[in-house]
Amino acid sequence: MTKIITIITLFICSLLSAQTQFEQGMTKAFGLWKEGKNTEASQLFERIAAAEKNSYLPNYYIALINTTAVFTEKDKTKIDLLLTKAQDALDAEMIKDQSNSELYVMQALIYTGYVVADPMTNGMKYSGKVMEAYAKAKALDPNNPRAVFGEADYQLGGAKWTGVDTKPLCAQVDKSIELFNNFKPATPFSPKWGLERALEIQKTCK
Amino acid sequence: MKTRITFILLLLSTFTFAQNIISGKVTDPKGKPVVGANIYIDGTYDGATSSETGEFSFETTETGNKFLVVSFLIFETFKTEIDVANYKNQIIKLRENMNALDAVVITAGTLESGDKARVSVLKPLDIVTTAGSAGNIVAALQTLPGTQSVGEDGRLFVRGGEANETQTFVDGIRVAQPYGATTNNLPTRSRFSPFLFSGIAFSTGGYSAEYGEALSSVLLLNTQDEEDHEKTDIGFMTVGLSLGNTQKWNKSSLSVNMMYVNLAPYQAVIPQNVDWNNPYQSLGGETVYRYKFTNGIFKLYASFDSEKFDLNQKNVNFENPIRTDMNNNNFYLNSSYKGSIGPGWQLTSGISYGYSKNKLKYDITGIDSQENAAQLKLKLSKKVSNYFRLSFGSDYFITRYNEDIASTTAIQNGYDSNIFASYAEGDISFSTKLALKVGLRYSNNSLLNENNIAPRASLGYKLSKASQFSFAYGDFTQTPVVDYVKYSKYHQFESEKARHYILNYTFSKPGQLLRTELYYKDYNNLVQYDTRDIQYNSVFNNNGSGYAKGFDLLWGDSNLYKNLEYWISYSYIDSERQYKNFPSMVTPSFVANHNLSVVTKYFITDWKSQIGFTNSFSSGRPYNDPNQTQFMNGKTKSYNSLSFNWAYLLTTQKILYFSVSNLLGTKNVFGYDYARNPDPSGVYQRQAVIPTADRFFFVGFFWTISQNKNENQLKNL
Repeated sequence: MTKIITIITLFICSLLSAQTQFEQGMTKAFGLWKEGKNTEASQLFERIAAAEKNSYLPNYYIALINTTAVFTEKDKTKIDLLLTKAQDALDAEMIKDQSNSELYVMQALIYTGYVVADPMTNGMKYSGKVMEAYAKAKALDPNNPRAVFGEADYQLGGAKWTGVDTKPLCAQVDKSIELFNNFKPATPFSPKWGLERALEIQKTCK
Repeated sequence: MKTRITFILLLLSTFTFAQNIISGKVTDPKGKPVVGANIYIDGTYDGATSSETGEFSFETTETGNKFLVVSFLIFETFKTEIDVANYKNQIIKLRENMNALDAVVITAGTLESGDKARVSVLKPLDIVTTAGSAGNIVAALQTLPGTQSVGEDGRLFVRGGEANETQTFVDGIRVAQPYGATTNNLPTRSRFSPFLFSGIAFSTGGYSAEYGEALSSVLLLNTQDEEDHEKTDIGFMTVGLSLGNTQKWNKSSLSVNMMYVNLAPYQAVIPQNVDWNNPYQSLGGETVYRYKFTNGIFKLYASFDSEKFDLNQKNVNFENPIRTDMNNNNFYLNSSYKGSIGPGWQLTSGISYGYSKNKLKYDITGIDSQENAAQLKLKLSKKVSNYFRLSFGSDYFITRYNEDIASTTAIQNGYDSNIFASYAEGDISFSTKLALKVGLRYSNNSLLNENNIAPRASLGYKLSKASQFSFAYGDFTQTPVVDYVKYSKYHQFESEKARHYILNYTFSKPGQLLRTELYYKDYNNLVQYDTRDIQYNSVFNNNGSGYAKGFDLLWGDSNLYKNLEYWISYSYIDSERQYKNFPSMVTPSFVANHNLSVVTKYFITDWKSQIGFTNSFSSGRPYNDPNQTQFMNGKTKSYNSLSFNWAYLLTTQKILYFSVSNLLGTKNVFGYDYARNPDPSGVYQRQAVIPTADRFFFVGFFWTISQNKNENQLKNL
């Protein structure tokens, strides 16, 4: 009897520890990212992604880390490598699930990375794709604050020279902040970023 | 008691497992440390990132034999089985990944534009925003080195080759009639609007064994795989109207473009050098349908064109101008499938059909001609390893041509041609620095009753991160042009032949490109005849020959000044031929020794405008003056044309576009037509071949209606 109990306990423990191992790994990776160790963080996410095929989050964060790194990177060849890496990670999840709103927000962000890196070459080419990806993200989840804000933010970025009316866009930013405040992430590691930037944009918008 | 021991043992073992340290060093093939590689035990979180010295060390709770994985973007991923307890201070040498972004690409002969091009000469947008191109793909390509701008013809002349020596392919399948209808000394333009193509590769020689029936050059146009979104485009121009619409579904999309051109209002306002009875009019349309399967993509491309014009041209042989009345109908259909079939295998197949009907009335002579041309194509390629790729395939070309001439007597000419061809080609990567491509093309031509074998080879060697050499060699054959082979029932023609040698040096950095090329081209088996004009009773032979040698230079830069882009292209060519009815080896009239183009584009953010200038210069071209004893002894004055364009964004979706060619109104002369017979004083009179108008003005308004407010038609201009 004791043996059976021990085995069951061990089994539960290992289950629990498997759970915590994922949490530990994710927590550690977020820690590295916060410290600015992008390569290390991205690589830990890669290891987690290789071991945990059931969660889209590790690959999602690989894509996010590498894409956001582009916004501060100047070397064009490096930008290409970062975005390729981000796209590969995203593709791995897109194949499994085409109905996740967050993945389309990520796709829009990668395309934005190309536009920011070389607006003259890529502006015309990727703008349509950015908007299309946000439209899909919104169709899948109209209350995704990142989709609502991202779409408005991208158009505001171009408004300086396209002369688009910013008023409805600012209204969208306001709406997204409301959505951000009501947003409850599905798991502790699910995407929840974006509120700070939305508030920043709200200040300059009007 | 037992349980307790098990428990302690378990605890102990976890303790001892944690003691396993994996350590070592990651290097590149040369032994230099690799910084930032990801080293881990497969299926676990245990791992590390290599340091500045390439070293790594981490602890693991795993035991026994496990797989250790080392990955880094530009190297092949390394995987090996290790004993976790005994893996310390090991050196891991990574192999180069042949698909890496900076691997050598063979570039000899090829000028590419598009997303996938590794060494992109032009961006897709450039084709259409080049001043002076007026949306004509061919006109934009004429600003690149290796081409000759032949103003009275309008087609692509490459490296001393005639225009028909260049073949056009859409999605890998030949287009039998790539140009619009034209007549004596009136320039034509490409039938294709740049709108539907995402990639353009233009090869000025030494191209792959996949392509045949082209002596000089191939122009490869690829339609877009995917449309961005649904939209409607409307254009109002001084020369006509255009309308386009794109619909998109889950897995498929359909684009349709229609264009109506009528030059009558324009020619009423702007003085012309030509007397038009009925100005140029055309109605045309193009459509692309795409369907995406899980493993491949199916595309259907169709276009039709109906053109007509009627004009009186002065002719030095006659007192009164000669009337030319032209009607042309053209249809082209192309369907292709491209997809993967099993690991490493790729299949491309396609079929095309082209139909052209010309009704020409030249003075009192009526010439009706019809051409039906089809191609079937199948291509397979297999990636054997990262170091070797094999591709092979077959083509079948069918051409039926007939011509009815109604003059004082009725004459019929024509031919049926079937060409079967097969090819095989291997791509070998020795390292990221050295790559070789070797191919062989076999063809059987039923009309000429001959078999040909054409070897091709090219080699690329990378000197440094930014620079590389390429070398290409190839044999090329082509059926003589329709003007000859339509008399096949009177004479058995043979294929014309060329051999290319090309040496290329390319230096490229982001925003900068230097490309230089030296080439030598040898022609033989060219058709000769012994009469003034080509006639059924001319005595033909295939004994003609010729050569072309020269130097091409291209420099493009977008780093010099913010929002400014420019490129300079220069070509020097020395070419002579003895063919047609030439009495001796001379430089033909379409060859200018020096060609220089300077293209600039500048975006002014404050004005929401893009402005561009293009200057094209060519040295004089030879012409034959029968008043002189030496053949082809004359030379025209040099040619120069400065063009300007201005695109203004009214709002993001509304664009106002203005362009003018030959801004300075330079009086250009392309050549001279001499009288067939001398006048009473014994002198042959002449007439200059000049453009139909000195300047060409264009004003257009383009409006895009779509959900996405940032989309516009700038890329179409």
